[in-house]
Amino acid sequence: MIFAALPLLNSMYFSLFDTDTDDGAARFVGLDNYRYLFTNPTTSERFWNALTNNVEYFAIHLVVEVPLGLLLAALLTSGRLRRSTGVYRTLLFIPTTLSVVIVGFIWRLIINPLWGLVDFPLLGDERTALPTISLMSVWQYVGIPMIFLYSALLAVPADILEAARIEGAGAWTAFWRVKFPLIAPQFGLIAILTYIWTFNGFDLVFALNGSAPGPNYSTDILGTLFYRTFFGSSGQVADLDLGAAVASVIFLIILVITGAYFWLLHRRLRSYEL
Amino acid sequence: MTAVARARGSERAGSLVVHGLLIVFTLLAIAPILLVVINSLKTTPAIFEHPFAPPGAGTFSAGGYERVFQRGHFVANYRNSLIVTVTSTMLTLVLATLAAFALTEYKVRFAPLVGGFFVAGIMLPIRLGTVPILRTMISWGLMDTLTALILVYTAMSLPLAVALLMTYFRAVPGDVKEAARMDGAGELRTLSIVLPMVRPGLAAVASVTMLPIWNDLWFPLILAPSQENQTVTLGVQQFVGQFLNDYPALLGALTLGALPLVVLFVVFSRQFIQGLSQGIGK
Amino acid sequence: MRALHASVALVAAALVALSSACSPSAGSGSGKVVLTLGSWRTEDLAMWQDEILPAFEKAHPTIDVKFSPTNTNEYNAAIQSQVDGGTGPDLITCRPYDVNRSWIKKGYFEKLDGKPMLDGFEALALDPWSDDAGSHYCVPTAAVLAGFYYNKDIFTELNLKVPTTQDEFLAVLKAIKDNGKYTPLAVGAAESWQLAYNGLYSIGPAYWKGEDGRQGLIKGTKKVTDPDFVAAFTAFDAWKPYLPKGFESLKYADMTQLFALGKAAILPDGSWDINQVAVGNLHVGVFGPPAVSAGGDRYVQEMPDMAIGINAASKHKAEAETFLAWTATPEFQALYTNKLPGFFSMGKQPITYTNALAQSFADLKKGAKLTPRLGLDRLSAGTPPFDDEVEAGRGCAGPRPGTSPHDAEAARKEPRPCEGLTTGTSSPSRCPRWRST
Repeated sequence: MIFAALPLLNSMYFSLFDTDTDDGAARFVGLDNYRYLFTNPTTSERFWNALTNNVEYFAIHLVVEVPLGLLLAALLTSGRLRRSTGVYRTLLFIPTTLSVVIVGFIWRLIINPLWGLVDFPLLGDERTALPTISLMSVWQYVGIPMIFLYSALLAVPADILEAARIEGAGAWTAFWRVKFPLIAPQFGLIAILTYIWTFNGFDLVFALNGSAPGPNYSTDILGTLFYRTFFGSSGQVADLDLGAAVASVIFLIILVITGAYFWLLHRRLRSYEL
Repeated sequence: MTAVARARGSERAGSLVVHGLLIVFTLLAIAPILLVVINSLKTTPAIFEHPFAPPGAGTFSAGGYERVFQRGHFVANYRNSLIVTVTSTMLTLVLATLAAFALTEYKVRFAPLVGGFFVAGIMLPIRLGTVPILRTMISWGLMDTLTALILVYTAMSLPLAVALLMTYFRAVPGDVKEAARMDGAGELRTLSIVLPMVRPGLAAVASVTMLPIWNDLWFPLILAPSQENQTVTLGVQQFVGQFLNDYPALLGALTLGALPLVVLFVVFSRQFIQGLSQGIGK
Repeated sequence: MRALHASVALVAAALVALSSACSPSAGSGSGKVVLTLGSWRTEDLAMWQDEILPAFEKAHPTIDVKFSPTNTNEYNAAIQSQVDGGTGPDLITCRPYDVNRSWIKKGYFEKLDGKPMLDGFEALALDPWSDDAGSHYCVPTAAVLAGFYYNKDIFTELNLKVPTTQDEFLAVLKAIKDNGKYTPLAVGAAESWQLAYNGLYSIGPAYWKGEDGRQGLIKGTKKVTDPDFVAAFTAFDAWKPYLPKGFESLKYADMTQLFALGKAAILPDGSWDINQVAVGNLHVGVFGPPAVSAGGDRYVQEMPDMAIGINAASKHKAEAETFLAWTATPEFQALYTNKLPGFFSMGKQPITYTNALAQSFADLKKGAKLTPRLGLDRLSAGTPPFDDEVEAGRGCAGPRPGTSPHDAEAARKEPRPCEGLTTGTSSPSRCPRWRST
């Protein structure tokens, strides 16, 4: 018991690193920073804009990336492949191993109206810039839900699948009635992780559009808003206290939804477990 | 057609569909990367004039790679990135396995709280804690060392690794553990018996942990910026100027930088998942 | 598990191989002091390492300097985190005006008042790196100019003359467009900073009378909605029909490449780009922003771009000072500006530039009134920063009136002259919603 508890405590100690919040020396000012964030017309407009953009960013990931990952995982485990599984798996995962600099550069080149394949300035138009970047991110990271759901699918005990096949279930039924419910907890987990990751998202947008991103802030998400507030940009002065307030708000947004997920949904999904 | 032939026919059709779809997606995944590689071997004007053409006689240039090796300290960067990534991943795996096992096994009263703690750890934007982390590293005398990076990355990856492993551990049927315990096995023994069953989980966690560490720019910048200690990702940045980019060199550096991760990933994932067919059946 | 062991062994072997194969980095000699110079100019690394630093180290054999650049997007954040945490390079390259003032306030720099190295510079040159009380913290290194590169061959082919007034400028653009072979203006809107720096802030001063307009905004006596400024916005807007297709997502690199490949006739750009534009067989010339009307005053944007200061937490301040003093000498300035054409010395002593294009650029200053970029001194220190607002307004048709009031923010932050910017009516729905006071 003790032996098991030690690593637990060890881990807890390390995770202290993550929970360092620093509200700045202006703490005695109380909730002023937050009030300022929400009432000053400029900052509040930027904040709500970033929030709405982030929601859209998340929605695209949820609707495109996760189902795509599921599809790929299902294809890889469909039992039709034999030797080539490893090859496909590796190749499909390679975009995820790339740094955002490559991803940004190459996709920007492909959709560049001057040199690339596309006529319409996708990244320059307010309406299309955010979906375009979201899809680039999906392209890069689809490997992650794919790998997770793939390993979850692999863990489905063979005898259950055997039993289903004997009872005459076709591939489609076998998947949706048998495999999917058994991986429901992992699926739910990936969904909520996607939520967390997109709301903490930053790298690709920053690499492509800098810290004040998008045609007219249309690709500004919470992560870049935080970075710009906390660290400033080449023309803008940093505001540490406001930045800390922004970060705390982001954290709260993530916390509330994640908490709700775990309390409400995850338990029910786990009821499918063996 | 006999029933068997029909079944076989539909099976083949099914295989075709599966292969077809996978090929489409794979092409979609790989084609852009090939673009980077072929463009890294061209001269700058050629990159922009005909970005999709492979390097021809007139446009071929290994100049980018030359500059990468001259200007950058590529071998050193590789070594640093390898050390940091592999060590952090190993550490994370070991600690997370122990922690996840403990958390799923023992109904300790504060287990949900600790679990929540970890989940909170996933959610926090780590850059916020940059200054306190920096100060801590200085006070421990770890400034500008790879050790600092390893500590930070392990701490950063642990929450997610623990949470993920917990789901895999929970999926292990209870009777296996019961049986082991009744045979008198100690805790560690039980863990080692259960381990093969969560191997895919370990592979998944290793993959997810490795990636952000290797590709991270921020912490190497802050904690280990000197040239001897630079990681590959940081080293590539020097080819991205304020106004000007040295494109061939940049692309060359990016290609070289991406390669090890692919190799690492292949090595790790194959090892873990390969043993799966033996582990799961039991 | 054997396979796992095998893979671990493989990785370990690779590490050993790499460790032995990697050449040890240049070890510092015993007794030598090693200084680090932080900067955002990653593209200058080669110059510093090969030409500039060896010159310094020959004259000062006990001091080694390492040029350690960080990508410009991360530079501010990196410096701030490092210095706040107690480290940071010994020598810090200073951003101009507002960002630097906030750094001065946080105590990043050593005060340089009274040191002889400052004598080589006019007060105006030292101003962007001083605090409100007039104390100086950084030694100026270089300034940049904004202008218009043009392809001489295209001009000859289409029988065009270098424009001197706005009307002539528009006529030239129209002629190129009508001809159809080339894009008149190589401008992309995806990187907003350069719309501001090389566009509005370059041709604008002719309308708001340079320093008159800029100081007026700072003091609060003028507003961005005044007719002069609106005229500038309108003139800038007149460029729109002459931009390349899909300009909204073209980045700075695309613009430069478009010009360098000979497909565009005119590139509004800064002097720092000389090496990128004058490539291959291209015959490139440069002309200044057109005057409003014939015989009117010419204005040129001269922007003090960088300076170097001493980190207050540095452990080698004496040596850092020696280096800094060296950068104030004409020898350094000549070396630096000639190795990096497009950067101009800010010292009192005039330098002749070996690069012909750089010299033409510098010649633009003769007879013109000079002014730095509009939005970078004080106007971008509040919320929202003026710079960001101008940049955000791109793509909107019609004059962009202004931004939300700074007053509340200014009062909250620190006493500062009221910016006096007000808002105006909004433009079509795609444009930012300007708030009224």
